[in-house]
Amino acid sequence: MTLDHLTLMGLDALLIAVFFSFLWKRTRRERWHHFWKVFAALLLGAVALGWLMYPFPRG
Amino acid sequence: MPEAGRPRETRLAQRLPLPVLMLLAWLVPGLGHLLLGRRLRAAVFCAVILVGFVVGLVLDGELMLPHAGDPLSYLAAIANIGNGVLFFVARHFDLGQGAVTAPGYEFGNTFLLTAGMMNLLLVLDTHDIAVGKKDW
Repeated sequence: MTLDHLTLMGLDALLIAVFFSFLWKRTRRERWHHFWKVFAALLLGAVALGWLMYPFPRG
Repeated sequence: MPEAGRPRETRLAQRLPLPVLMLLAWLVPGLGHLLLGRRLRAAVFCAVILVGFVVGLVLDGELMLPHAGDPLSYLAAIANIGNGVLFFVARHFDLGQGAVTAPGYEFGNTFLLTAGMMNLLLVLDTHDIAVGKKDW
């Protein structure tokens, strides 16, 4: 299976966000809020980190 | 909205000693919550861990075992064994050998490790529910 990096990262973020929403939050409303916060933080955080590392050369 | 009604602990869960309950929670993702009457969460946790584990295997991830002289491999092994029975079944069928040259190798490892660590967190959550630290 070959998927692009962003899709795989999105899938991982999705699983983690669902998991912690159900682990830590009790009501549907709280879970929904928590899900979007974690999902956005993981996805946007990874993209932001990628941009921050862009100036640094490889190797 | 809380899960429908008050969660009802199964008779089996009431009779099982706590270490056995935690062992079952580790072996089968979601089983601890199921025995404690948290059916919705049990189903969600089981699905999340199963999907993560299968995606990890499909991406040619490696179910690592400890290698002498590589301290990080011990941590990776703990996380992978955290998958419980999924780990042993996959090893039995020679899955999760890992192909370092495969494009999805690192991603596969990430999914496998994530699934294992999530299952270990479920064991702790099962403990907290069983001893009454968490009442939902």
